[in-house]
Amino acid sequence: MSDIAPEMWDKLSPSDSAAVTSAPSLTYWQDARRRLFANKPAVVSIIFIVLLILAAIFGPLFSPFTYADQNLRLANIPPAFETYSVADGQGGTTRFFLNASNFNLYEVDAEGHVLGLLRGERKDMLKKSQAFIFGDTTITLDYSKLPARLLAEDGATISPSGWSWNRTYIFGTDQLGRDVLVRQLYGARISLTVAFVATLVNFFIGIFYGGIAGYIGGKTDAVMMRVVEIIATIPLTLYVVLLMVVFDSGLYSIIIAIGSVFWVDMARIVRGQILSLKSQDYVAAARTMGAGTGRILTRHLLPNSIGPIIVTLTMLIPSAIFIESFMSFIGLGVTPPLASWGTLTSDAVETMRAYPHQLFFPAAAISLTMFAFNFLGDGLRDALDPRFRR
Amino acid sequence: MPLYILQRLGMMLLTLWAIVTLTFFLMHAVPGGPFVSERMLAPEIEAALNAKYGLDQPIWVQYLSYLRGIVTLDLGPSFKYPGVSINTMIADGLPVTLRTGLLAVIAVVALGVPLGIVAALNRNRWPDTTVMLIATIGVAIPSYVIATVTLYIFALRLGWVPTFGLDDWRGYILPVFALSGFWISFVARLTRSSLLETFEQDYMTTARAKGLRPGQVLFKHGLRNSLIPVITILGPVVANLITGSFVIEQIFALPGIGRQFVLSITNRDYTAIMGITIFYAAALMVMILIVDLLYAVLDPRIKLTEASA
Amino acid sequence: MTEPILSVRDLKTSFFTQRGEVQAVRGVSFDVYPGEILGIVGESGSGKSITCMSILRLLKPAGRIKSGSAIFDGQDLMTLSEADLSDVRGNRIGMIFQDPMTSLNPTLSVGEQVIETILRHRKATRAEARARAVELFELVRIPSAAERLKSYPHEFSGGMRQRVMIAIALACDPKLLIADEPTTALDVTIQRQILGLLRDLQQRLGMAVILITHDLGVIAEVTDRIVVMYGGLVMETGPVRDLFATPKHPYTRGLLASVPDLRDDTHRRLTPIPGSPPDMAHPPSGCPFTPRCPHAMRICATDLPPIFGIGQGARCWLHHPEAPPSLLPSREKVPEGRMRGPSP
Ligand SMILES: Nc1ncnc2c1ncn2[C@@H]1O[C@H](COP(=O)(O)OP(=O)(O)OP(=O)(O)O)[C@@H](O)[C@H]1O
Ligand code: SF4
Ligand SMILES: [Mg+2]
Repeated sequence: MSDIAPEMWDKLSPSDSAAVTSAPSLTYWQDARRRLFANKPAVVSIIFIVLLILAAIFGPLFSPFTYADQNLRLANIPPAFETYSVADGQGGTTRFFLNASNFNLYEVDAEGHVLGLLRGERKDMLKKSQAFIFGDTTITLDYSKLPARLLAEDGATISPSGWSWNRTYIFGTDQLGRDVLVRQLYGARISLTVAFVATLVNFFIGIFYGGIAGYIGGKTDAVMMRVVEIIATIPLTLYVVLLMVVFDSGLYSIIIAIGSVFWVDMARIVRGQILSLKSQDYVAAARTMGAGTGRILTRHLLPNSIGPIIVTLTMLIPSAIFIESFMSFIGLGVTPPLASWGTLTSDAVETMRAYPHQLFFPAAAISLTMFAFNFLGDGLRDALDPRFRR
Repeated sequence: MPLYILQRLGMMLLTLWAIVTLTFFLMHAVPGGPFVSERMLAPEIEAALNAKYGLDQPIWVQYLSYLRGIVTLDLGPSFKYPGVSINTMIADGLPVTLRTGLLAVIAVVALGVPLGIVAALNRNRWPDTTVMLIATIGVAIPSYVIATVTLYIFALRLGWVPTFGLDDWRGYILPVFALSGFWISFVARLTRSSLLETFEQDYMTTARAKGLRPGQVLFKHGLRNSLIPVITILGPVVANLITGSFVIEQIFALPGIGRQFVLSITNRDYTAIMGITIFYAAALMVMILIVDLLYAVLDPRIKLTEASA
Repeated sequence: MTEPILSVRDLKTSFFTQRGEVQAVRGVSFDVYPGEILGIVGESGSGKSITCMSILRLLKPAGRIKSGSAIFDGQDLMTLSEADLSDVRGNRIGMIFQDPMTSLNPTLSVGEQVIETILRHRKATRAEARARAVELFELVRIPSAAERLKSYPHEFSGGMRQRVMIAIALACDPKLLIADEPTTALDVTIQRQILGLLRDLQQRLGMAVILITHDLGVIAEVTDRIVVMYGGLVMETGPVRDLFATPKHPYTRGLLASVPDLRDDTHRRLTPIPGSPPDMAHPPSGCPFTPRCPHAMRICATDLPPIFGIGQGARCWLHHPEAPPSLLPSREKVPEGRMRGPSP
């Protein structure tokens, strides 16, 4: 019975009892950050987006090519190729690869740098063949039957001696012989610029419009929201198309077109937030303490609505990227020789049969970017929006 | 209830009017557009336009003529093809567009909703994770990328389906898939989140506390309520699928309205762009109206709140 | 003594969340006897609702019952199959929830929501079930009962909705009714009506009721025995008269201290005791009331006290036979014998 030590019955001092309660409590932002960083797809997306932005800004500086440099003699070169070596019988060897779609031979060095187009003899139009002479050795390119083959003097098929990555044009070249990599990077620049600027424009219009409607309330609010309702039912893609037709294609037009059209969601969210917050006590308190309208809006209402606003913004970016690339795809976006992911894709569709790699890069770039923003948006929503906390 | 329908109808007409007006004035601003008198045009077209809209008249007269045309369902003559009216253009493309669009709608409902249900019921287990991963991919990849990539793989590489045309039923597979991919994913995500939200509702606990069987709880109490938001977006979805297919039609060379639209854009057939835009918008409005009515039937709360508003 | 109709033993329920395990209920035991009204009181978050939801296993997916039993009518509800348990729910045990605005399905008519319950548990035709629903609506005093069956929840006021909930809970003549704060969401006059109705029905139908409430007036007025909960644990339990006259637990005392006169029948809410309840994600190893208790001792911070006393029991070290009697608070004039309880 007496396994309780007598001193256990001593009164507990207040400091001891306070120690019992202390439990760590996180602020909203700490909590949100912790949840965001616990979300793996979101973290990967953030890393991807940061790398993409860095590549878009600095990447082109490190490239010897620009987005407009054409070299028609080196058009449609793939990012990797099978190489052949031919000894010329005088101690030298020539390495080259065969572009099976345009029947050209390109000389490459041992590391995979593209040196140039090899000149052959006259093409034999009847036999569909062309001879190439390397010192003492002559080989024949036979494209009478597909796939095209290389034949030695004795008529035997020469097989490739190895393969190599393209060191000159890492992603290959397009049909005008422009470097695909640098065009991709410029495409990223365009897409991201359009997305960020248009989103920012939408953000300000939305905040402004929704803020005013929500804050003033009453009749003004009713009318403003009717207008929003009308705009929301208009098929916005069509309106971007119309605006682009009116403005004529180009970078600025597309920014204006997208920027002026997608603010409706933002306006609704901001208004909703402001209406719900307006009814809360601390706003009333701020007002009784004599704070002006502007001050209440910027100091009390907006900081409290920031979570849903950030989520909406993040979701707006991929929409803007999509619309821009979509417009460029149907020929209403940026004008050549500028490249965006949309124009790159649509250019690649034309050469898709022969050079699928040209389709692969822009398709992958836009898809990955869209994923990243979507995952980030989902992650932010889970982290920031208390309604979605599960 | 009739009041509610009237309200919706009024709203729809107002929106349509706004769209027509906006379109008209935008087109009026185009240099070399249909409502400018100094430009090089085939004389027949010039004459047709003039007869229709009186190009020497002040702008508001032209506007009224255009409005009158819309009200009488006449979208006017083409700006590029002499003797062709926009109405014929749309009528020619409509069957193809409708057919692919409806197939896509069926795909969205038949795949999106069940996938969402499966995901919600298996929350945080592998079926959920799988469905959500696919759905996120589906929401993220632009439709034109899906279209071109599947075209390359399944038509060019594997030869399973034709590369263009609709002579064979297999010709529908890729366009319908590309068209509906985004919306299947979207609807699956929406169904899932809506169901999960419904599961959290107090009345679901009540339903279980009453001893109802799991099937009754899920279908009678859960699904009915969670499908309301899904049905609400189905209106825009249907309209989008039936109208928003222009790239897809372009990529697969389907002779629908969408391809006509892109063509009109490319050769600046301004009146066609206008007409098709307005047609699209009208189709969207009608779908939204239908869905709104359906919504009112499904959700008893609507009648009272709206009618008293 | 009669057998209890429900006997809950050592019930433990936790929620597994991103923050870790939240131990909402940490070992709760109590009995409910046929025909009595048992009141459960305690601050918000003390685990009252989760206890009741656990009894019928109605927890959300994140919640899990870790151990314990709940013997109802000779069957342990914790080990019953889901199918057998659903035969008990809504049939032999009815349940009413706190918020009538959200606990009815908005898209089904109220009649349908009553009828489906009857059809689920009784062999009845739709017409018979309908007739029974009208009867129930009359029983809970919904005017023009037959017509109101077709209405939807949004066409009802809060008080009327709660009547519908009661009708649903009573649809199959339950032996036990669990009412989780049935009046908290209603305004004062409606509260009185609903409570009156509940007590009236309880006496007429002779069922047992578990009534969760914040309202000490309600407790004093309608319940027979009380369970006082704090931090997921039962702190004190006993007949309502004894508990009000001689509260043994410092927490119960805190609850009662703010009420000037118990016989006064105006309604009073629990007045908060200074301090805040424990974080159930990191429950203290000792008595959960320690930081707020004016009598806390060193043992309180380290060891969880057991329940001392039979009949009226209190989970508090002050009632340990070795505890120095000088520590016993003298604010209330409590007879020595009653305070101590029989020594173990
Ligand atoms: N879904 C949940 N997830 C995590 N924790 C929960 C969940 N539901 C309840 N809890 C926790 O369980 C504890 C007990 O909750 P419970 O609802 O039983 O309290 P209560 O006594 O009924 O309070 P009230 O008087 O407010 O209804 C609380 O601390 C709460 O934080
Ligand atoms: S056990 Fe200690 S802390 Fe808990 S109520 Fe009793 S005296 Fe207070
Ligand atoms: Mg509760």
